[in-house]
Amino acid sequence: MTSASSEPAAARLAASAPWDAEADDRLVCLAVRDETHDVKTFVLAPKEPRLFAYAPGQFLTFSFEIGGETLHRCYTVSSAPTRPNAVAFTVKRVPGGPVSNWLHDSLKPGDTVRALGPMGEFSCFTHPAGKYLLLSGGSGVTPMMSMARTFHDLGEARDVAFVHSARSPADIVFRGELETMARLDPAFRFHAVCETDSPNEIWAGPKGRLSLETLREAVPDFLDREIFVCGPKPYMDAVRAMLSQAGFDMARHHEESFDFGALPEAEQEAAAEAEKTLDAEAAPGGGVRTFRVEFAKTRRVLECPENETVLDAARKAGIRLPSSCAKGLCGTCKSKLTAGTVAMTHAGGIRQREIDAGMALLCCSKPTSDLVVER
Amino acid sequence: MLDVTPTPLQRLLRERRPGYTLAAPFYLSPEVFEADMAVIFGRHWIYVGVEPDVPEAGDVMVVEIGKTSVAIVRDDDNEIRAFHNVCRHRGARLVHEEKSTVGNLVCRYHSWTYDLTGNLIHAEHMGPDFKRGCHGLKPVHVRSLAGLLFICLADEPPADFDEMAAKLGPYIEPHNVRDTKVAFQKDIIEPGNWKLTMENNRECYHCGANHPELTVPLFAYGFGFAPEEMDAHDRAQAERYGCLLKTRHGEWEAEGLPSKEIDELDTMITGFRTERLPLDGEGESHTLDTKAACKRLLGNLTSAKLGGLSVWTQPNSWHHFLGDHIVTFSVLPLDAERSLLRTKWLVHKDAVEGVDYDLANLTGVWEATNDQDSELVGICQQGVASPAYEPGPYSPHTEMLVEKFCNWYVGRMAAHLGR
Repeated sequence: MTSASSEPAAARLAASAPWDAEADDRLVCLAVRDETHDVKTFVLAPKEPRLFAYAPGQFLTFSFEIGGETLHRCYTVSSAPTRPNAVAFTVKRVPGGPVSNWLHDSLKPGDTVRALGPMGEFSCFTHPAGKYLLLSGGSGVTPMMSMARTFHDLGEARDVAFVHSARSPADIVFRGELETMARLDPAFRFHAVCETDSPNEIWAGPKGRLSLETLREAVPDFLDREIFVCGPKPYMDAVRAMLSQAGFDMARHHEESFDFGALPEAEQEAAAEAEKTLDAEAAPGGGVRTFRVEFAKTRRVLECPENETVLDAARKAGIRLPSSCAKGLCGTCKSKLTAGTVAMTHAGGIRQREIDAGMALLCCSKPTSDLVVER
Repeated sequence: MLDVTPTPLQRLLRERRPGYTLAAPFYLSPEVFEADMAVIFGRHWIYVGVEPDVPEAGDVMVVEIGKTSVAIVRDDDNEIRAFHNVCRHRGARLVHEEKSTVGNLVCRYHSWTYDLTGNLIHAEHMGPDFKRGCHGLKPVHVRSLAGLLFICLADEPPADFDEMAAKLGPYIEPHNVRDTKVAFQKDIIEPGNWKLTMENNRECYHCGANHPELTVPLFAYGFGFAPEEMDAHDRAQAERYGCLLKTRHGEWEAEGLPSKEIDELDTMITGFRTERLPLDGEGESHTLDTKAACKRLLGNLTSAKLGGLSVWTQPNSWHHFLGDHIVTFSVLPLDAERSLLRTKWLVHKDAVEGVDYDLANLTGVWEATNDQDSELVGICQQGVASPAYEPGPYSPHTEMLVEKFCNWYVGRMAAHLGR
């Protein structure tokens, strides 16, 4: 192969200059890939061939022109820096989410988007260790995927345990690739935890939400590992409580959080706003259904989206409920459900016997049906 | 000790006449009561309940000893722990019900949250310099003797608990307390000083005249008699009992059931006594027909004809272990003239009420006996308050154990206060 080849891919591989967002912030969409029924990956590169240099786990800040408006979003790079000729980011479709829907429905190969970065401290490179535990929930899988792919591509026999929580087997993003990496590399282990079966697959692995028990079973030596966590906020809150309860040295626990200080001042506010939306969009689940929650004693009724806790929905509706820790620890918000079901990720504030008797902690319970709460 | 002025209590202890009941202030004085709580109940092993009171992780039982409230919990590793039931924030009482099930221990005042090992795991608004690690619940010593729970409020509990456990354990273990459930609990407030309640328990001199139900299964002869006063009928009965005791002890010991008397009531700091006693009639249980009250036997026992293993501990308990059920008693002083008697009836945890046992039949003998004893303690309390009361002599044949109780009490008080 020579540099005179007319093959565009050859030119891209021959690139020697690094991509510099200051000089050229426009990236072209090269490919769109279906990861699951509601998750897509978008592959990007500059028009002129350039190399991307970043640490796995870092993110880009994008500006999308949608309906005459400019919307900013931060998305973690899901590709690995070991394949520097393009970058990719991976997005779950959230009904009602203006950006995720536009990306899924409209962004096509050949389109351009503006991007800044890469940025962020959330990377295994920032905290070198011999053994890692990567914990992700829903679309929080993307930084972990970048880290896992990096070690795999480098051929380093690095001890990596990857535990991913998904709604159902059909929602496990990158499942095939993760299973393949685990098959090829004995030092890499992949475990998925699913809340429910999918229509075509009965889930044979650990069921429910990630618990200390599940974690201990999957990764018995988790206390010795450097731990990276990314997922919806309640997931990260529950993991944090779980690890500290297990006596984990929290100095070796790292959560994804966007470093606004790294952004130009004018964009900090926009990015902060974007993160809020991102948080909402990152909630697991296919479509956001909304359930009716009735408080029997106070005769109040509210609508609670399936990705929001009953406590949060009540707060937004101006209903004050007893609560304190808001993370499933103290049990102050313990309430009886006289009708309906919830998905609950508690941190020890309630006993299985109480759950069996119809009690729930509203601070960490998301509705899975209409509810009647004895409050 | 010329420079020391004895307190009235020290004088009372010094002047106590062995073989006689205690002087009136021991049963009446609020000051003596305070000293009893500080010394006897504050520094010795106190029997408070059984492991099946907290059968599963997250179960909590609260026990009040004077002004001290103790929460006994089973943690997530199935360990039993005890803590002072006081929030480390502003001192609020943490747990309010006698029995409850919790995720964590949460103070309802400001939601300070402790895990079941006593660590403070949540406290809002305390600022960055607040050290949670310095504000865990204060632990209380707790020990299980083959399933019987004892707590000690002292910093340094008496060290001879292990010796008691080593001697008593083999007697109790065949009845497998840990595999039982509390079928029924009854609290009664006896109108008397706790020592009168204990003294009443330590003799059966009063049984013939007062306990028509209890004397159906129990031989009064098991608790002593004066041989010289007996007529031919009584002598024959006593001889029959003597032979029965010897034969049964031989049989039970051969079956691997320790049966012979051990009496350390006033020879150890953690005083106790035990003996397996034959029962009258069918010889199976403390019931009116002397037959087992529960079809499901305890532990791996194959026969109910095991008599009754009786256990006494100083200062506040007695227990009867039958083949089919267990009755266990704890005395907790309320004030100088009132005491709580807490009785629990235990059956195999898989036994079903109404199928394997009838509750009224199970509890009948001891409910009646407790009520009768409560009344006896009441008339005694009234009597010792009279100016005419003076200490009276114990029977050397039937009240040796009462004397041992008083001897232990006076000795323990003197050891801490000086005579």
